[in-house]
Amino acid sequence: MIACCAIMQYSYAQDLGSRSFKLIDDNKPFKINTLFKNTEGYIYAGSTNGLYSFDGIRFKKIHFAGANARDTVTAIFEDNTRHLWVGFKSGRLAKKINGRLEYLDIEEGNPAKAITSFVQDKQNNIWFATNGEGLYYFKNGRLNLVNTENGLSDLHVRSLQLGNNGDILVATDQGINICSFIDERVQVQVIGPKNGLPDYYVTAIIAAGNENYWIGMQEKGFCLYNHQSGKITIPPDNANWNYGQINNLLFSQKSLWIATEESGLLKQSVIDGPVTEFKIGNSTQKKIYNLIQDNEGNIWMNTATELISITGNKLKIWPVYSPGIFESIHATLCDHQNNIWISSNAGLIKYSFTNDRFTEKKYSFNDLNEKTDITSLYQDANHNIWIGTMGKGIIILNPETGQSRQLSENPLLQNASILSITGRGNTVCAGGLEGVAMIFIISEKNKSITEKYSFTNYNDIENVGNNYIYNIYNDSKGRIWFGTDGKGITVLENGKLTNYNKHNGLKDDHIYSFAEDGDGNIWFNTEGAGIYQFDGKKFRNFSVGQGISDLKITALKTGPLGNIILVNKKGIDVLHITTGSISYYNNNQGISDVNTDMGSVTQDTAGNIVLSTVNGIVVYTPVDQASYQPKTIIENVQLFLTEVDKLRTGNFSYDQNSFLFNFTGLYYTSPDEVHYQYKLEGLDTGWIQTRDRSVTFLRLQPGTYKFHVRSSLNENFDNADEATYEFVIEKPVWERWWFIMLGIILLAGLIFWYTKKREGRLQKVQELRQEKIQFQFQLLRAQVNPHFLFNSFNTLVSFIEEDPKLAVDYVGQLSVFFRNIVNYRDHELITLGEEIGILKTYFYLQQKRYGHNLELNIAVSEADKKNIFIPPLTLQLLIENAIKHNAVSKETPLTINLFIENNKQLIIKNNINPKITRESGAGMGLQNIVNRYNLLSNEPITVQNDGVDFTVILPVLNQ
Amino acid sequence: MFKKPIILLFSLILFSSGVNAPQTMYTVGAGSITFSSDAPLELIKATSNQLKGIFNSEKKEFAFTLNVNTFKGFNSPLQQEHFNENYLESNKYPRASFEGKIIEDVDLKRDGFFRIRAKGNLTVHGVTQERIIKCELTIKNKIVSVKSNFTVLLADHNITIPKVVHEKLASEIKLEVKAELIDK
Repeated sequence: MIACCAIMQYSYAQDLGSRSFKLIDDNKPFKINTLFKNTEGYIYAGSTNGLYSFDGIRFKKIHFAGANARDTVTAIFEDNTRHLWVGFKSGRLAKKINGRLEYLDIEEGNPAKAITSFVQDKQNNIWFATNGEGLYYFKNGRLNLVNTENGLSDLHVRSLQLGNNGDILVATDQGINICSFIDERVQVQVIGPKNGLPDYYVTAIIAAGNENYWIGMQEKGFCLYNHQSGKITIPPDNANWNYGQINNLLFSQKSLWIATEESGLLKQSVIDGPVTEFKIGNSTQKKIYNLIQDNEGNIWMNTATELISITGNKLKIWPVYSPGIFESIHATLCDHQNNIWISSNAGLIKYSFTNDRFTEKKYSFNDLNEKTDITSLYQDANHNIWIGTMGKGIIILNPETGQSRQLSENPLLQNASILSITGRGNTVCAGGLEGVAMIFIISEKNKSITEKYSFTNYNDIENVGNNYIYNIYNDSKGRIWFGTDGKGITVLENGKLTNYNKHNGLKDDHIYSFAEDGDGNIWFNTEGAGIYQFDGKKFRNFSVGQGISDLKITALKTGPLGNIILVNKKGIDVLHITTGSISYYNNNQGISDVNTDMGSVTQDTAGNIVLSTVNGIVVYTPVDQASYQPKTIIENVQLFLTEVDKLRTGNFSYDQNSFLFNFTGLYYTSPDEVHYQYKLEGLDTGWIQTRDRSVTFLRLQPGTYKFHVRSSLNENFDNADEATYEFVIEKPVWERWWFIMLGIILLAGLIFWYTKKREGRLQKVQELRQEKIQFQFQLLRAQVNPHFLFNSFNTLVSFIEEDPKLAVDYVGQLSVFFRNIVNYRDHELITLGEEIGILKTYFYLQQKRYGHNLELNIAVSEADKKNIFIPPLTLQLLIENAIKHNAVSKETPLTINLFIENNKQLIIKNNINPKITRESGAGMGLQNIVNRYNLLSNEPITVQNDGVDFTVILPVLNQ
Repeated sequence: MFKKPIILLFSLILFSSGVNAPQTMYTVGAGSITFSSDAPLELIKATSNQLKGIFNSEKKEFAFTLNVNTFKGFNSPLQQEHFNENYLESNKYPRASFEGKIIEDVDLKRDGFFRIRAKGNLTVHGVTQERIIKCELTIKNKIVSVKSNFTVLLADHNITIPKVVHEKLASEIKLEVKAELIDK
């Protein structure tokens, strides 16, 4: 009935997705000494050419500030304030400040030996180890040394580890040293071979949880040290350890990874289990220095020349397929012993795995001919294998005995075409063409495959459809789901059937397969509209827009960590149901040409996803607590191309307004796939999509801003990790409210002050002017009097002798004249009439002296005499001048005319009879008049002398 | 109080070296310590020429000691009195000392210039602190010249300053040591 043969094969499970990077700068390769991952998840490499950051694509050098320093980095560390420390081969230390390295200036001096490791204790003191001087710690700003004098067993320290209780665990060439503060002084306790340590030479210490520490040694492998009990546990395999020196240890993906000096990378998957070599791609490197794990669960290590990442346990491939086999596979099954069965050319092949080798066993069936396709494989609760075929119904195989039979319980099955077989507990569900929609109930008796199965066929039920049933699924609540070809989904619950189709919002009624998540939601995939989540009320669709990479979905499974796993031709989409985000494993990890038959994806006993690819069987093991989407990091913020501390929360002045943001969506698994969206709150309204990793904002207006950037592996940013940087550009001083207020107050004050001042000044000017006028009047008047008196007395003297009667009359007029002067003395202006009165008195006095040789003609109307004003004694002075400057005689009479022209000008005109000798005080009287008029009128006094007439034109003053 | 252990140490160094290699023993011929307190309101500087000490170039061990009350050059006699009575309490703690070992693995038996660090116990005001102190050594013709600058925090040695003189006394005192050690 069955022909079978077994072939023993040797093959390593190979890692998938390993990548390697050479540190090349300026066309020169450099050696990597140390690796470090900071809190954000960024990987740093310390090299012979200094410090580099690594974003998954390229290395970026972290330069020294200022001088062109060069130093070999031997240790990297981040303290709990997120400042990066670097230790050098020279013994010096540096910190990364504003994106640049700055050497520490230590008062105590720098160590002279290479720095090997850092740790920060529970009191926040920073410790660092040297290769040859012991270890140092900073406490209260002082550097302290712990060396042999403190009891340290050796000065060559390889590694430091902080103990749970605050002790420092030190790996030295002479055992483990435990440092603790007792009465403020460091006490050292040594754990060496005497205490059960297999080797005195300790190379690595890493935490293993619960006070346990993995200890790596120089030649005796590794052991587990419990710091509480002091107990040392040596794995059984260590007895004949022949892998040489351990350089580093890492516990990740539930395995202990061991970097060795001469045996490459080793792995121990189970405590006390065997240690196996882990082959990295095609690498032949045997010397592995460091091990770290990125946030996505990938493991990174370095050799002398390369930085290497592996997916570790996450993805592995068994290259088991002989030529031609892959093409013949239509169904796979992972059985309860994790043997993998595949269908091949009307038969089955079973691959059994033990450690590094596998055996292959072939099964063929007499009931099937060469042309029969096997579509589905299922193992029931009794471990019998159900084989669904096209045209030959179902065949049951007992894998223990090799016995098989074709199911004939239902005549329909005789030549039926089966599309899927699924099941849960004691049920097996088969769907197919020609109305096969059967649910079998499995009992204990069915352990023997010859026993009959009881079953129900749902083919005649309306809406279930009677032709194509792609999948029947029995969920954890006992509901039975039917996926139909063109009629949507139908669920049988409590004996009641409910159908959901296009009318319920489904975009596609061709339903291929089902899965159920931990919350009891049902998931199903459609022919062309992606997948749906159904919570019992609503359907939620996930399609390309949500990040599904390919709508031709081969299979839908619930992964061991509760995620929904979609398999397509290119690889795996992992949908994280809590966030709705999707991550991928595809050709970036070396997966290619995945089998697209519906029955070709299976799960092992742990729920890990098993699929067939052209290169072999791929197993995807999700990593616990690993990030599955890019971590968004603002790498630096530059202000006018000068980096500012990104931890700085401060305000910028109005002219510090041009910003450059460099950002990264760290996703080491597929760094090239990262998309970005950013927005500047305070400026932009929406998100801007980009694949660039920097953005510049020039000349920002004063205001409060928040820069947001987020990264995703697809166009769906709903749950993307976001980084922000908040900053304030302050208004220039003159735009701030207090300044404006101050300005207004100041301005008001200024105006007030100015007005006051102006008023005061005007008043003062007025006063001054008044004063001046008064003064000048006084002065002028003072000048008038003696001048006139001088002349009058001269005349009087001549009269007294010649005509005493006239002299009496003359003195009388003179007295009238002086009374007038006294009367008008304090007046600024008097009427023209009054002045003419004075003038007439004066003229009388003069005429007595000169007789008819002196003539005065006054042609002024009575109205003008009243309306025109004049400074007192003005006309008198002018006439006095005329008399004074001209010879008055019978031959040369003097005629003075006084008249008004154009109502504007008062004109005094006399003919000129020049005297032979000039009178003293010449011009003084006229100048006085000119001065007086200057103060009283804007119009000037005009004095004309044409040789015939002397004319003085006074402007008319109308009060 | 502190005299005894230092003398013990001296004799130990002397004795042990005396047996093995007497030519590697040096004692201070002339040595001075200058301290300066650069406070906002006052600069105080004082020097003592009474530095005593011993150095074993083979074992790279040393011990230095000083009578605290030998500092001279204060701004006023009153200041000196305060220094001795109130701050350093030189009646109670007459000596300051630094004893220990050189960290660097260098051959100090040959002539040359060495930048080294000394790790030891610094005792001031009766309080001992473990310290690393940077020094420059010049060894020539069996004369070891030592030069060193370092600081002492008053708080490290329980030296308390009254609030009123806070502005006049720095919390960090700078020290400068110069010594010539000669072959014994």
